[in-house]
Amino acid sequence: MKIQVRVNQRPVELQARTDETLLTALRRADFRSVRLTCGIGVCGACTVLIDGEPISSCLVLAPAASGADITTTEGFDEDDPVATAFQEVSAFQCGYCTPGFVLTARALLTENPQPSDDEIRHALAGNLCRCGSYVKIAEAVRLAAESMRS
Amino acid sequence: MTLDPRITGAIEYGQDQHIDGMLHARILRSPHAHAIVLSVNTAGVPSDVVTLTRDDVVDLEPLYGPMVKDQPVVAGDRVLHVGDAVAAVAARTPREAEEALELIEVEYEELPGVFDPVEATSDSAPLLHEGLEIPAEYRPDGRNVCHRFRLKSGLGNDGFAGAEVVIEESFAIAGAAHNPMEPHATLAYWEEGRLHLITGTQTPFNTRRDMAALFRIPEEMIRVVVAPMGGSFGAKTFMRLEPITAALARKAQRPVRAVLTRAEEFITVNRHPAQFRIRLGANRDGTFVAKSVDAWWDTGAYADCGPSVCTKGGYAAIGPYRIPNVTVDSRCVYTNLPPAGAFRGYAATQGVWASERMTDLMADRLGIDPLELRLKNLLQDGDRFATGEVMHDVRFAECLRNAADAVEWGEGRKNKGLAVMLKGMQTPSRTGVALEIDAGGHVVLRSATTDMGQRPEIAQRNLAAHALGLSPDLIVVGPNDTDLVPFDTRTTSSRSTFMMSNAIRAAAHDLRQKIAERFEVAPEDLVLSDEGVGVAGSPDLSRPLAELAGVRGDGTFVTPGGLDPDTGQGIASSHWHQAAASAEVNVDAETGVTTITRLHTAVYAGNVVDRAGAELQNEGSTIFGIGSALYEGIVFEAGQVTNGNLSDYEIPSTLDVPDFTYELLEGGEHSHGLGEMAVPVVPAAIGNAVAAAGHPVRNLPMSAESVLG
Repeated sequence: MKIQVRVNQRPVELQARTDETLLTALRRADFRSVRLTCGIGVCGACTVLIDGEPISSCLVLAPAASGADITTTEGFDEDDPVATAFQEVSAFQCGYCTPGFVLTARALLTENPQPSDDEIRHALAGNLCRCGSYVKIAEAVRLAAESMRS
Repeated sequence: MTLDPRITGAIEYGQDQHIDGMLHARILRSPHAHAIVLSVNTAGVPSDVVTLTRDDVVDLEPLYGPMVKDQPVVAGDRVLHVGDAVAAVAARTPREAEEALELIEVEYEELPGVFDPVEATSDSAPLLHEGLEIPAEYRPDGRNVCHRFRLKSGLGNDGFAGAEVVIEESFAIAGAAHNPMEPHATLAYWEEGRLHLITGTQTPFNTRRDMAALFRIPEEMIRVVVAPMGGSFGAKTFMRLEPITAALARKAQRPVRAVLTRAEEFITVNRHPAQFRIRLGANRDGTFVAKSVDAWWDTGAYADCGPSVCTKGGYAAIGPYRIPNVTVDSRCVYTNLPPAGAFRGYAATQGVWASERMTDLMADRLGIDPLELRLKNLLQDGDRFATGEVMHDVRFAECLRNAADAVEWGEGRKNKGLAVMLKGMQTPSRTGVALEIDAGGHVVLRSATTDMGQRPEIAQRNLAAHALGLSPDLIVVGPNDTDLVPFDTRTTSSRSTFMMSNAIRAAAHDLRQKIAERFEVAPEDLVLSDEGVGVAGSPDLSRPLAELAGVRGDGTFVTPGGLDPDTGQGIASSHWHQAAASAEVNVDAETGVTTITRLHTAVYAGNVVDRAGAELQNEGSTIFGIGSALYEGIVFEAGQVTNGNLSDYEIPSTLDVPDFTYELLEGGEHSHGLGEMAVPVVPAAIGNAVAAAGHPVRNLPMSAESVLG
């Protein structure tokens, strides 16, 4: 079936069977930053923002996303404070989980512009990084918070 | 700033590789750990789906493997582990492929299996491989044993007679899953008899060699293009999906892509479960006198690189100590578990766990401070290791003191633990690299180092820039394609920074020579800068780099060595990875839950050439070590993985990682790999801390149950 959504502020028509996930539909539409790892909502590699909220797209049936306002990192501006902070502190290694972390961090900072270290740790707990870049990811979130305030 | 493709998602991993008209592969796997395959019937599969069974590979070499040829492309008469490939399909969509699998009928006759490497060596165990040709460098001594590494120094076991105190202990380490975020992925296609593989691999040249042997074609008829990997940690070392994908593509006469599921990751390759029995003899003043290491490495159904794992883990379990009498008997054993292979920390994780818990148990027995006991026995410059090789550039004591200071060891040892290790690097080993000037005035670095997340191009561009006196911006890294890059052994064992730094220096030297020949001047009179090439004293000879397009310098670096498999004597490692860790914990006496209150690693880094990368590698290693210490162990039930998903098999999240500190100790003449330094010492330091808190653990992982047990 055809599913109308907005992705990164542009209208997009997704193609999916009714039993396919939003993750599958987005990848079919070439949004490659959205990635399958665990398939059970544990790892956050398939994170997208729906109306600003981080969601595991592997747990959302594609038709249920009809009309949703979806954000992926493909749509990030070059001066995006979260993305540039990740880049400045080298908060990634293989990069596979990075879009998910960046999106979760954006959602956190939108809701809580001055998170404590503990709040950062809890907000990011639904995203796994097997390379183990957590130290620098937390640093990037602090840097992004700082630059968004100034 | 231009956003990095890793942030925007534009990077193309193996799973993103795409060719129009390609088919999607799925693999039919054995549900049994050990069974005879009576029949494989694909008659029910739609005709537009390509199938691959044992009948389709009869013209290939029957078996492949990087060290022992023991693995079929798809099962022949028998399956040897749950998940063994029995057949495969290629269809227009992943869904059609998945559906086709269910239409293949396979009849099995179950056989008894063996799931423990010690039991597998007994006469009553089923024999898993018959009539294998084992290469001459291995010692298949024993039932189901594909290699046995033995070492003897001094008087060997007779040396215990001279020790005042002797203790003997056993240790076990569970298998672990690499769990790269990106699963294994391979795209294969054939063009005029030539096989092209675009694949996430750490070993393009091993893969080319082994695929050529398997398909009985010359190596030149195979091209391996390495896709960046979404993590590997050893999982994508040696052939994985390449044989079955290439065989499917050959039959389909179309490109075929295979991508594993998460569940398949747990039955494709894992870390070796291992068991140790160690004896350590010392005098009452703490001087080590003798040590024996007996080890059993469960390599599963296929050897993969198990022979090398049992060797490296065998000598890692000796530890970085001066011990006059040592014996090692380390066995690589087939069982009916999924294959085990390279895993970040390559055998040192298991060996260091057993060895460093043993050191603390001896300290307890002697009533000597574990730090003092270690410092008294640590190898120093000029000492000989048990292999006979002389140790140089030794930093064990420096690493250990740094770690001890970080947890204020002198202020009291309650709930604190230490560990120190030596880990070898792939030896012998060879690395080639080229530096070639292009028409755009850049220097193209042609290197086979694969990118599994360590982003080697940063360090290598820095190294080349430094060697040539140019800015790193002028160095670009060429495609990682076996048609275009010089031979390199492989990207494993934290060898690339060390090997490449030497090869790049040689290539830079050669490039200067070649440019000097063009100018007909002495190389020392050349002046290289971002503006171009000049000649000292002759400003009119200056030319931009672009005018030298095509000039190329080649560099090679080779480390000789290797160990005699019967005596363990020789050169184990051309240089050593040296590291220490310290930990402080709280153990909840009611629940057995361990909380890390302090954790520090001290690793010998040599010259750091990519600061952020070095930090990321060590931070990642530390976190990997935390996972191995407290959480990660594959649970097998009669050969079935019972926790093969990321909910039941937990890898560390931000909530599992405490604040920790570390020191990259710099100095010396070389740059060292940092990808695996902390992995082996972190579990051992935490284990010694848990023991100091009153729970004398012997096994990994230290789950709450095992701590209380």
